[in-house]
Amino acid sequence: MLNMLLSQVLDLMTPVLLAAMAGALCERAGVFNIALEGKMLVGAFVAVATSVAFGSPVLAVLSAVLCTAVFASPLALGGARLGGDPIVIGIGLNLLAAGLTTYLLGAIFGVTGTLVDPAVTALPKFVIAGLADVPVVGAILGHNALVYLSWLLIFVFNIYLFRTPWGLRLRGIGEVPSAAAAMGANVSRYQTAIVILAGGLCGLAGAQLALGSVALFAENMTAGRGWIAVVAVMLGRAHPLGIALACLGFGLADAVGLRLQGQGLPNQITDIAPYAITLLAMIGLGLRGMKKRSV
Amino acid sequence: MTLLQMKGITKRFDGVVANDGISLSVNSGEIHALMGENGAGKSTLMNILYGLLKPDAGEILVDGKAMDFTNPLGAIAAGIGMVHQTFRQFPDLTVWENLVFQNEPRRGPLVSADAARDFVRRLGSRHGLEIDPDSRVRDLAVGIRQRLEILKALSREARILILDEPTAVLTPQERDGLFTAMRELASKGMALILVTHKIPEVIAITDQITVMRDGRVSGTLVTKETSEAEIIKAMVGRNVPPTIAAKVTSDAEPMLSVKELSVRRAGVTIVDAVSFDVRPGEIVGIAGVSGNGQPQLISAVMGLESATGAVSIGDQDISRFPIARRRAAGISYVPEDRHLTGTAPAASIAENIVFGTHRHAAASSKGFLRKDAIRAQARKLIERFRVKAASEQLPIGSLSGGNMQKVVIAREVEHGSPLIIVEEPTRGVDVGAIEFIHQTLIAERDKGRAILVVSSDLTELLALSDRILVMFEGRINARLTGSDMNEETVGRWMMGGAETR
Amino acid sequence: MIAAALDTKSRLAAILFSIVAAVLLGGLVVGLTGANPISVYLEIAKGAVLGRGLDETLARSVPLVGMALAAAIALRAGLVNLGGDGQMLIGGLAAALVALYVPVPGVARAVLALAAAICAGGLYAWLAAILQLSLGIPFLIASLLFSYIARGLTSYLVRYPLRDPATGMPETYRVASGARLPAHIFDLPVSMAMIVMAVVAIVIVVNDRSGVNGFEWRMTGLNARFAQYSGVNLSRQTQRVAFLSGALAGLVGALLILGQQYRFTDGALLAPGYTWSGLMAAVLAMASPIATIVASVFFAALQVGGFSMERALGLPAVLTWVLQALIILCLAARPILFRKR
Repeated sequence: MLNMLLSQVLDLMTPVLLAAMAGALCERAGVFNIALEGKMLVGAFVAVATSVAFGSPVLAVLSAVLCTAVFASPLALGGARLGGDPIVIGIGLNLLAAGLTTYLLGAIFGVTGTLVDPAVTALPKFVIAGLADVPVVGAILGHNALVYLSWLLIFVFNIYLFRTPWGLRLRGIGEVPSAAAAMGANVSRYQTAIVILAGGLCGLAGAQLALGSVALFAENMTAGRGWIAVVAVMLGRAHPLGIALACLGFGLADAVGLRLQGQGLPNQITDIAPYAITLLAMIGLGLRGMKKRSV
Repeated sequence: MTLLQMKGITKRFDGVVANDGISLSVNSGEIHALMGENGAGKSTLMNILYGLLKPDAGEILVDGKAMDFTNPLGAIAAGIGMVHQTFRQFPDLTVWENLVFQNEPRRGPLVSADAARDFVRRLGSRHGLEIDPDSRVRDLAVGIRQRLEILKALSREARILILDEPTAVLTPQERDGLFTAMRELASKGMALILVTHKIPEVIAITDQITVMRDGRVSGTLVTKETSEAEIIKAMVGRNVPPTIAAKVTSDAEPMLSVKELSVRRAGVTIVDAVSFDVRPGEIVGIAGVSGNGQPQLISAVMGLESATGAVSIGDQDISRFPIARRRAAGISYVPEDRHLTGTAPAASIAENIVFGTHRHAAASSKGFLRKDAIRAQARKLIERFRVKAASEQLPIGSLSGGNMQKVVIAREVEHGSPLIIVEEPTRGVDVGAIEFIHQTLIAERDKGRAILVVSSDLTELLALSDRILVMFEGRINARLTGSDMNEETVGRWMMGGAETR
Repeated sequence: MIAAALDTKSRLAAILFSIVAAVLLGGLVVGLTGANPISVYLEIAKGAVLGRGLDETLARSVPLVGMALAAAIALRAGLVNLGGDGQMLIGGLAAALVALYVPVPGVARAVLALAAAICAGGLYAWLAAILQLSLGIPFLIASLLFSYIARGLTSYLVRYPLRDPATGMPETYRVASGARLPAHIFDLPVSMAMIVMAVVAIVIVVNDRSGVNGFEWRMTGLNARFAQYSGVNLSRQTQRVAFLSGALAGLVGALLILGQQYRFTDGALLAPGYTWSGLMAAVLAMASPIATIVASVFFAALQVGGFSMERALGLPAVLTWVLQALIILCLAARPILFRKR
């Protein structure tokens, strides 16, 4: 029972965690990225569409990463270089993602609503027989590669940001771009690269959302998870461990919501849980120091 | 041995000559002062030397080799370092992270933090500029942050170090520490250029002096052989300030009274129990080296900064009022930065003129703007203040600095408030507009208004003020009138008074 | 931020450029999916104006103009309101509740319902403004999260306590005919909702051009520091603008319920995406009210044309969403393409 809950939490938090890491990278580079929602949606669509065409989960994940990185390029060009307003571009990208995926769903697959296809299979899970019932261990085992990759990325991101020269430069660029430029850093090239990399991460998030446990694409299936990732970046102060913690909290709220739904609570109410918890967390933890960026 | 030579440097901006055939030569082991009033062209010359600007004519030689910088990186590679007045630092990062930025010692793919810390310590002890490598920059005092800035230049093997007004933000103790470090660096064969307009520190520390005035070199002096009077003559020249107002004394009841006003921020007292009056029919000037609390004092008077103490207009205590009610009680205010605070650059001239009084009967009735009246008023002011603008409908941001400032002054003067507070009346303004702005302020004084002027330009303050208050470390340490209002006396008090000689 | 220092002429040129670029890019998308872009665009254009197209465009313009102006008045004062969906839902629900359950005679009931919607939508947005002012939670984020909460809450209410068991749908009872807004006035093809929206639009335009408040809001959007220094109470103004933006969204919800749908059906208010289309129109118009109205009518025509194109060619009408988003992206990316200076 507890094992199942924990396992579910880990599954539910993964897409948000991947997207939040993308958001945190952009935040560190000084680009306010509110297009996570749209980029995830594109990733999910591309993953499913590639699955239908080739039946290969590996290819699906790779093309999701690639296409989403391309999709992020307007933000990379517009937001990273001076002149474009990242908020406007973010809103535009979110709406473009919603429109484009729905349009292509109809135009290519002749489907409205949900795309299910026998060729679309969920990513394989690493199940080790006999260990599933061992407390905690059982919950940690039995996920797909993207889940473990997301955990690995927390540490990679941490090391990149705080231990490597490039991470140091990124933090400097995000904090005082003019000072970084004065010391010889190519600010806009860094920002462009990071935003595109973040696009790739969102592609992973979308792939996990579509192929993690359900193996389908549905219109607007992100349902606000990209926005929760934006909040997770704020709550975790763009620190890899901080956002991991925030996403864990979100996964828990989501899982408990689903549990309560099983107990007969209407799902409309439990659907609110992640958003309400997110808001309450922001209110409770307070977002001091965020005022200057309030829009 | 001559380390740096600049020959015949000329630079024009939109036809205005900022540097006119400047030559400068600095030897190894020498501390060289570059002096001049604000606007004399010092910053332009140093920005050219540091590769931030490209000269229209002239050449730069380092070690006798001609240089052609296109950006600061070229200057850095040639061994030129610059300590800017505003630090180029990352407050959230540690000292060592700031220092090795873009030049990180590595261990495999990672930054070697130990090597970086060691590097900071060794660099610091070699030059007598010790600093804790693990401190976060935002927690450091200004003096230490400046030390970090010098170390940054030294870490890139600078042999020529430019220090731009380095003492403006320092306490006397920090300043003494800086001077010791500068002598130390010079003794090791470096060439230091000290950009300043403060005579005492030039006499105290430098070997050679180049004085600039109106974009030209007006004097090349050897410190040991010159005198304060000679330096002042070179700086001010025969070119006496255009307008020197006839000085008046007013004995009317005070229009503005400030009593025991203090501002504290994060436990630091920035304005320390300041009291003064401004009476109708006089201009009171506030002088001081920047960083001694002048902007905070004005913000506190305007209600933009929380403070203790009392402020009153006439008989009315306004200490508890928000800014709107303070202005309504009779204050006009020209803020220091016209782009960030004084205007909305994208809005039209007319809108910028009316904003603030748009709820008055002259500009609106029953919640609607009287647009024709607003435009007519704007046209009237444009003409009266000789603003060069094709139409009152143009965005104010399209005007030149001088014309924009004239609009702001016109707006505030037109309020008809009995008290006008002006910060930096002529910063970044062309000569013709300076003259006009000064005459406007004097005319308003003669109409019986009380005027308070804060300026970092001492010549301007001496020209305008009937009395001068000098701020030092948050306090008013001198109240000068009559014959005491001269450059030397005011300058001495700006440096802390009795402490300097 | 968005109201850049563009003069009218170069702004117009920028918008035209964006539309052309979006049409070209959209044509590329259509072409890649194997359809003929020219016939697609032709169908959209015909569908928007020919036959019933003009009537439909006009009808669709009412809520769209409302949501676009709700976004525009906030943008003008420097606030990004992403919570229009939630404010519209809360307003629509309040209107439905009053129209269904408050025992006063017909017309009074309708008026009361509209007033309730305005208050409810306004307060919902005001709450998000308070979070920004007191806790520093960005209004943009708070208003959006509130939308998701409103969606779940209204969905639950109309499925359970307020449900009309007679229909198979998750919806409330029908509003009595006396409390509805007439679809035609004096047999003219003009609905009451149109008149209400026209009055609101005029008030907003006049306030923006000549009103003292509109002037203060606009100057705040251009430079908040200058506004504060000139005596504007920023906190109070933010609360007021947020309230009015939300109130207008709430009013749109009420007009749709009382003038068109006659009951609150789960999902019906949000399905056409008025909030987002409106936001895009406001951004395209750089928050100028008149331009916002023009842009929203243009978007309404585009959407109506899209539906007609779907009927004729079988391609999803949502293509017009793609076009709208591309227009905004091209506009935002324009400074990079035409690097000024």
